[in-house]
Amino acid sequence: MTGYIIRRLLWGVLLLFLVIAVTFLIFYLLPSVNPAILRAGRNGSPKVIAEISKDLGLNHPIYVQFWNYIKEIIFHGNFGYSYYYNDPVGGLIANRLPATLSLTVGAAALWVLIGIPVGIISAIKRRTFFDRAAMGAALVFVSAPVFWLGLIALYLFANDIGQFKIFPGSGSYVGLTVNPLKWFESLLLPWMVLSATSTAIYARLVRGSLLQVMGEDYIRTARAKGLPERTVILKHGMRSAMGPLVTVLGLDIASLLGGAILTEGVFDIPGIGRLNIDAIGHGDVTIVQGTVLVASIFIIIANIIVDIAYAFLDPRVRYE
Amino acid sequence: MNTSIRRRAFAGVLALFAAAAALFAFASSNSTTLANGAGLKPAQTGAGETLLNGKRGGTLTVYDSEDFEHLDPGESYFALDYEVMYATQMPLFEYLPNNTTVAAPMLASGPAVVTNGGKTVTVHIKPDVHFSPPVNRAVTSADVAYAIDRGANPNVANPYFQPYFGDIVGAAKATGGPIAGIQTPNSTTIVFHLTQPTADLLIGALSLPISAPVPESYAAPLDKDKPTQYGTSSEVFTGPYMLQSTASGKFLGLGYQPGKSATLVRNPNWNPKTDPAPAYLNKININIGGAAQVIGLQVLKGSDSVQNDTPTNANVELAYTKYYKQLYAVPGAGDHYVSLDNAKGPFTNVNIRRAAYAALDRAALVKIAGGSIVGEVGTHFITPGSAGFAQSGGNAGPKYPWNEYPDGNLSVAEKYMKAAGYPSGKYTGNQVLTIVQADNGNSPEEGAVVKDAFTELGFKTKLVLVDQSVLYAKYCGVPAAQVSACPSVGWIRDFADPQTILYVPFYGPAITPTNNSNWGQVNEPAINAAMVKATFVVGAAARAAAWAKIDDMLVDQAVAIPWIFDDQPNIESGNVRGINDLWDVGEWDYTYTSLDNP
Repeated sequence: MTGYIIRRLLWGVLLLFLVIAVTFLIFYLLPSVNPAILRAGRNGSPKVIAEISKDLGLNHPIYVQFWNYIKEIIFHGNFGYSYYYNDPVGGLIANRLPATLSLTVGAAALWVLIGIPVGIISAIKRRTFFDRAAMGAALVFVSAPVFWLGLIALYLFANDIGQFKIFPGSGSYVGLTVNPLKWFESLLLPWMVLSATSTAIYARLVRGSLLQVMGEDYIRTARAKGLPERTVILKHGMRSAMGPLVTVLGLDIASLLGGAILTEGVFDIPGIGRLNIDAIGHGDVTIVQGTVLVASIFIIIANIIVDIAYAFLDPRVRYE
Repeated sequence: MNTSIRRRAFAGVLALFAAAAALFAFASSNSTTLANGAGLKPAQTGAGETLLNGKRGGTLTVYDSEDFEHLDPGESYFALDYEVMYATQMPLFEYLPNNTTVAAPMLASGPAVVTNGGKTVTVHIKPDVHFSPPVNRAVTSADVAYAIDRGANPNVANPYFQPYFGDIVGAAKATGGPIAGIQTPNSTTIVFHLTQPTADLLIGALSLPISAPVPESYAAPLDKDKPTQYGTSSEVFTGPYMLQSTASGKFLGLGYQPGKSATLVRNPNWNPKTDPAPAYLNKININIGGAAQVIGLQVLKGSDSVQNDTPTNANVELAYTKYYKQLYAVPGAGDHYVSLDNAKGPFTNVNIRRAAYAALDRAALVKIAGGSIVGEVGTHFITPGSAGFAQSGGNAGPKYPWNEYPDGNLSVAEKYMKAAGYPSGKYTGNQVLTIVQADNGNSPEEGAVVKDAFTELGFKTKLVLVDQSVLYAKYCGVPAAQVSACPSVGWIRDFADPQTILYVPFYGPAITPTNNSNWGQVNEPAINAAMVKATFVVGAAARAAAWAKIDDMLVDQAVAIPWIFDDQPNIESGNVRGINDLWDVGEWDYTYTSLDNP
């Protein structure tokens, strides 16, 4: 297992290198704002732009620029400097990470705590009213775009613009360390909106997996042995059904940690997603590269964790 | 004077949320259609606002989808930045919110004195204006001189330094050190020596943030950074408000958190006797980010708040129908026009340009932009409220057949196509017109209207939609890109002199290979000559007449197609007495705004 993990980590490093290279090339090859123009301002003279290009090393060949970028990341932990904010990218990302982390962890907890039980009950009580209602609602939430759902949620339930003034609205986010209670309150609505689609997906996924597993021979054997139905479902049924769920959960959480762009935008939560979308709007290449890199790191780590978790969930899986 | 300037007004709605806006509008507003504007009472313009008698105290919340670009008076050149600049800094001159034509002395103790046939300008400053902590001392004329000197420093790179200050002796080659033509004979006097008699333009430019004093001892070490850290991390202030700062003057992370917020508090060293602004508010919290359609509702339904950037069309409609007194549509916010490539392709022929002008349904473009509340059909280039507007025809514009039909007139257009050598009235050549337009907000629809007009004239067209961030940087602002037309380029004046509207976008020698603001590469010798001559005209009335004549020439030559005189819609909460700067795109003036119940 240790050898496997080391091999995966090394592959992860190689993958990160490729991600950096591709991101770098995308901004180099496709039409984007010249960083020197961005820093010089919209009306910088050609002379000023040329001087800034020289200062930023933009007059070097692409492979030199790429090597300088990689070198800074590896040896100095420096993700570059934002051309728009005039601030180190690493600091900007670190500043935004807590908000994204808060949003993601809370939403993931919600969709796991709601989605899995609903899926289990739907599977057990197949074709009952509960099953049909739950799966019908799931279909609605799967189909609803998160930005639309967010706006509707605000219009209905925000305490400033809502018809039913229940939850703090857009722009109410405060940091956990500033005021834990307000932090919790401000994230309730975003958590619900962000988790709605995933809750629906997880409920359907669990239902489908469990229905499939519950028809297996070993389940019949477990029942024949006289095990209580609760044990059959939770210990034998769910353990097998958890495999695909863990895969999806790991990747979902990891990709959200790279920024829940739409939810952060609608609820005005200053997280990585909003930093990224603002940077794209400004053509601030270094921030986009930095956020993509962070998202990639999360996804690679999540993949490794998922693979390890498989070994514990399914005894048949052994890594050499 | 060959450097391009282009100041940016508020941006539109984030493209990402454009689709959601339409859905949300369905839920949040009634079905009244304002787009055609027929029979509607006009929105409030802000012209009758009472500047004084507000109540002192309270905190204003400002919602702002967009972030600032620069908070350094030497770098800022964006409407959002200006709101903070004019609240926190004291330039030599400044327009009162309800005055669009004459700048009042601010740091200056009186009007500028012009001598030497328009080649020398002398300004005296007030002796008792102080910098905020940690500098604390009184402002001197040397601080103003340094503020302007540093504009030429590449680390500051003031965008309008060369166009407006380039005629100061020694400024053309300045790189941030002392400029020979700026002298400070004593601590309250500053004298500008010019190479040409362009005093009027220089005095106008002294109302821009660059003339706000900067203490060299504090800023010079910060100005050595590339780019300067003055205004990026630390700054000192002279206006009634300041960005909340540490004892050392550092505001980054406290008074300004990039992408999150900015906080303005009272400047403890501000002396109300030196400043006509009442500064009613105790504090201004600027919230950066959020979806524009949500922000608009928060402002309209909430209290103590204003929306800083342009509200969505749905929210303007909602405000107009349900919160009429909370909506202002401030004129003079600039104009938009279709640039036509005057240098290459079919539009080098003046009659084809006239035909395109005649064929274009400009009224349709205004409807797409939001209808009569957000602007009137553009008929020339000098904007309403600017000197020279009336002289060049007012709202009706210069009298030319191609300018007479806001809805477009194909028979007039075909007449000019025939004059261009196409007997059928339709283009029969094989050149394809490339139209480049942003892919967000209303832009694609606007591009489609322009494409339709060209197609009606027989042209084959290619409409290319690109991201807003590269529209100018890669296409419309790059002559080598050979773009035939950019449907929604726009301009706003820098101050009340028509030269600031017409010179850069239409003066041939100002064309640059990149970052070009003469989008159509207009380079008509007669127009160029008239501009050079008008630059040296002395006196406001004479200058207005001279530039109005040039405006007329631009329409005569159909160098571009003006389609809207923009109004800036602004919304505020019911208990806010928001004051708009009528001289400059109607931005909120925090130094005059107050709350009804602080």
